[in-house]
Amino acid sequence: MSRAARPPELEVTPELTIPKLFVRKAQEYGQRVAIREKEFGIWRPITWAAYLENVRLFALGLTAIGLQPEDKVAMIGDNRPEGLFAEMATLCAGGVAVWLFQDALLEEVQYIVDHCDARFLVAEGQEEVDKALAIKARCPKLSRIIWDDPKGMRGYQDPALIRFSEVQRLGRELADREPGRFEALVEQGRGDDVCLLFYTSGTTAKPKGALLTHTNMLKMGQNLLRVDPCQGTDDFVSFLPLAWIGEQMMSISCGLMAGFTLNFPEEPETVLANLREIGPHTIFSSARFYEQMVRTVQVKYLDASQPKRKAYELALGIGHRLADFKLAKRPAPWIWRVLGLVADQAVHRKLRDHLGLSHIRNAYSGGSALGPDYFRFFHAIGVNLKQIYGQTEIAGISVVHRSDDIKFDTVGKPIPETEVRITPEGEIVSRSPSTFKGYYKDPMETAKALRDGWLYSGDTGFLDPDGHLVFFDRTKDVFSLSDGSRFSPMFLESRLKFSPYVKDAWVLGHLRPFAAAVICIDGSVVGKWAEDNHIAYTSYSELSQDPRVCTLIQAEIQRVNARLPAAARVRRFLNLHKEFDADDEELTRTRKLRRAFLEERYHDPVQAIYNGAERVGMGTTVTYEDGRVAQVKADLRIVEVPDAGER
Amino acid sequence: MYLPSGVYHEHYAQDQAWWRTTFIRAKMVVLFLFLLVIFPLGANLYLVSVANIIGYTILSAMGVQLLIGYCGQITLGHAAFIAVGAYVSAIAMLQYQLPYPVGLVLGAIAAGLWSVLFGLPSARVKGFYLIMTTMAAQFITVDFFITQYVSQVGGRGTFFSLPPGTIRIGPWTIDSELKVYYVMIVLVILCTTGMANLLRTRVGRAWIAIRDNDIAAEAMGVNIFKYKLLAYFVAGVLGGIAGAFWISSILAVSPEHFQFSWSLWIVGVILIGGAGSLHGTIFGAMFITLILEGLKFAIIPLSDSFPALQERFLYVKEAAFGLAIVLFLLYEPKGLAYRWQQIKNYFNLWPFSY
Repeated sequence: MSRAARPPELEVTPELTIPKLFVRKAQEYGQRVAIREKEFGIWRPITWAAYLENVRLFALGLTAIGLQPEDKVAMIGDNRPEGLFAEMATLCAGGVAVWLFQDALLEEVQYIVDHCDARFLVAEGQEEVDKALAIKARCPKLSRIIWDDPKGMRGYQDPALIRFSEVQRLGRELADREPGRFEALVEQGRGDDVCLLFYTSGTTAKPKGALLTHTNMLKMGQNLLRVDPCQGTDDFVSFLPLAWIGEQMMSISCGLMAGFTLNFPEEPETVLANLREIGPHTIFSSARFYEQMVRTVQVKYLDASQPKRKAYELALGIGHRLADFKLAKRPAPWIWRVLGLVADQAVHRKLRDHLGLSHIRNAYSGGSALGPDYFRFFHAIGVNLKQIYGQTEIAGISVVHRSDDIKFDTVGKPIPETEVRITPEGEIVSRSPSTFKGYYKDPMETAKALRDGWLYSGDTGFLDPDGHLVFFDRTKDVFSLSDGSRFSPMFLESRLKFSPYVKDAWVLGHLRPFAAAVICIDGSVVGKWAEDNHIAYTSYSELSQDPRVCTLIQAEIQRVNARLPAAARVRRFLNLHKEFDADDEELTRTRKLRRAFLEERYHDPVQAIYNGAERVGMGTTVTYEDGRVAQVKADLRIVEVPDAGER
Repeated sequence: MYLPSGVYHEHYAQDQAWWRTTFIRAKMVVLFLFLLVIFPLGANLYLVSVANIIGYTILSAMGVQLLIGYCGQITLGHAAFIAVGAYVSAIAMLQYQLPYPVGLVLGAIAAGLWSVLFGLPSARVKGFYLIMTTMAAQFITVDFFITQYVSQVGGRGTFFSLPPGTIRIGPWTIDSELKVYYVMIVLVILCTTGMANLLRTRVGRAWIAIRDNDIAAEAMGVNIFKYKLLAYFVAGVLGGIAGAFWISSILAVSPEHFQFSWSLWIVGVILIGGAGSLHGTIFGAMFITLILEGLKFAIIPLSDSFPALQERFLYVKEAAFGLAIVLFLLYEPKGLAYRWQQIKNYFNLWPFSY
């Protein structure tokens, strides 16, 4: 079933913890490269031995400055070796790691740090330290702030601040005084101790803290690797926020289990280039990431010269045909296979190389469902893309596609040791050794989500005849029009977003007469299109309201409508004058739409769409990352979408 | 530089290596195999002699490339330093019975020092005036010193002849085109790799800084005078090597081999190949030499009806060269090396344009 050799399997006993496994693996691998970080142009390697030593000193240092077992340690910063050291050291010292999103706003940071009772906060550099100092007064339990990047830190004198290397120095002193202390700390852990506290991104209310144990994490890693084994020589690029369960899943669970090398990019801005340099064997990322990749390809395709475009179209056409055969599980006729080989050599190989997917064995998409058009694209260019489905509460994964059994309208089959059922109400429930312990300090929510060991997901779906899980949508997000017909807005949105001109789409229609859409155009692609068509514009909002741009988007929506049932067709739309942004709370930090908030904020335009108005005035507030607020005023044009036949 | 996905470096030594991918390594092995084994064994005498001319042109143009392409110092007198290299090594062998390699080194060093002497004005003058001083180098060296004085050394008149067997490297007598080819290919490889590496060092970067903007370079702390003289020295050494190599091929030295026209010719080579590119030096030398050889073949059938063409081939040659330069300046001002880069990019970026 898989191409990689299967190593002897590790038994996850109730005694086994992440630190115990880590120490064992680090001693076994010794001088092998565990981590690479791109710095000053090269990928600086860190061996397992050095990784262990860093973690040992930091763990002892945390103990020396007063960390007790089960204390929470909050962490904020980019993906970097020090962040990983801090997390692993926290676990080794018996603490619980709480990751925060790097770009979280001050209130979010304050809420989480306060709610989780963190006594220590590991910040990366000046920016994070500033946030930490700003909330310190309102978080009385927070006692020390640890930082590791010295840039800009010279003038900081706050007694709560302590440098990462200083903590390690204290750790070394403790190690000299009490040799064997670290080993004792690691030994005292047990499998059902809590190791990680995740605050769910919260599309609705305040974030809830999900408690995950060592066994949860280890079992999840093991069960994923049973489906798709990784090798110790594999490379993995860690670039998504460690505050997201998916990244923890790969970097910590699978990373330790399989022993592959983690690679940290130079800066968040250089991720794509760095990813391409490494050429990872496995990627787990959000749907957004793949959508962005397709968008890049589409834009570059539009800008390419005529012969190149022809070659691309031809090869992609062949690829799509072959992908359809593969997904239908029918053998392709030999003529198509020959053409496929030619197309692969001529174009697909190069495409994969540009995207950094040359060595990919498995690419996973999680978080939210990826549209079928994207799926088809990646399979057409020979990337083995699979859907992962799961919640933070079940350590991130319960269902995944198998390499030889991929359907792009499903999310796959349950991983080993996992059961998935559908309740009579159509809700997806699941049970596995990775089901979480409960929400931190929230027994009410825990009781709601966890009944008889089954995790109630709040998602609607069904199992198809082949045993695949079909994820429809968040239950509360499934729309019914006023005539009772139901549709999934997310599905519509992902189809709309496949157009290179559409960056974001927000579909409306719940309890309303018809489906409508609010579109955020892609400024750079539409801008290029406008230049090519001699349309002058000065800003994003002006471009978005240009009648010719509206016609362009109208045509795109018509194309999508043509392949949809009549009830789910988008009848009216408007181009928004700004892009959705997580800083304006329109999106979650994992870039999902926050519908309830959007409904409230864009109340007037939404009303106007359904009133049949032609235009609507709109004033919005824009929040900058430093908390400043500005007003933007705009006059929005609402456009009808006639059925393609009616034109 | 374009690298395929999955090529990454953990150490600076890997990062700075010349050949970083298996594909490049394989390509270079094939290239060396072709240059060192397949071509010399497979080609006939005529092709080998053409290759030797190309090699001589590359060696001659290398120093000009350094001065014009990398240091921004226009020179129209480079044949003078080639002449110094040729004469010093010939005199070392004939008058002092020194072995050829020693003569070659002496010739190179003498040419380098001679070049520094004429580089001195570059501290004060730029542009047209510098061109004048380099032309002065040409006429003072070749038409005055060498013709009037050096040629009289040993009472040989105007023409130094190197009897067969004079040019030996240890017991290995260089007495055939094929052996000359090997001397040439070794020198070309050494000079090219030497230059390529030199350009990556502090010295090379200083030269490039001076070329791009000498005032800014000086403000940045580059000692302009020192690095300009160093450029003249290295360019002279390369010219000296070219001259000392060339006597092994023609077995004679005479001032008429190092005329002003040759100085112009090698400037043309780098204009066609592309200033500021080592590839350009090689492409330019190959292009010019091969075009002229092609021209010869084209003229032979025509000479029956136009006998004047053959008589005046020299003029045809010059005219073709002039035409080539004009056309290049019009249609390919960045030279062949740029075109080569564009072709590589076309396929590297396939199926996109950026």
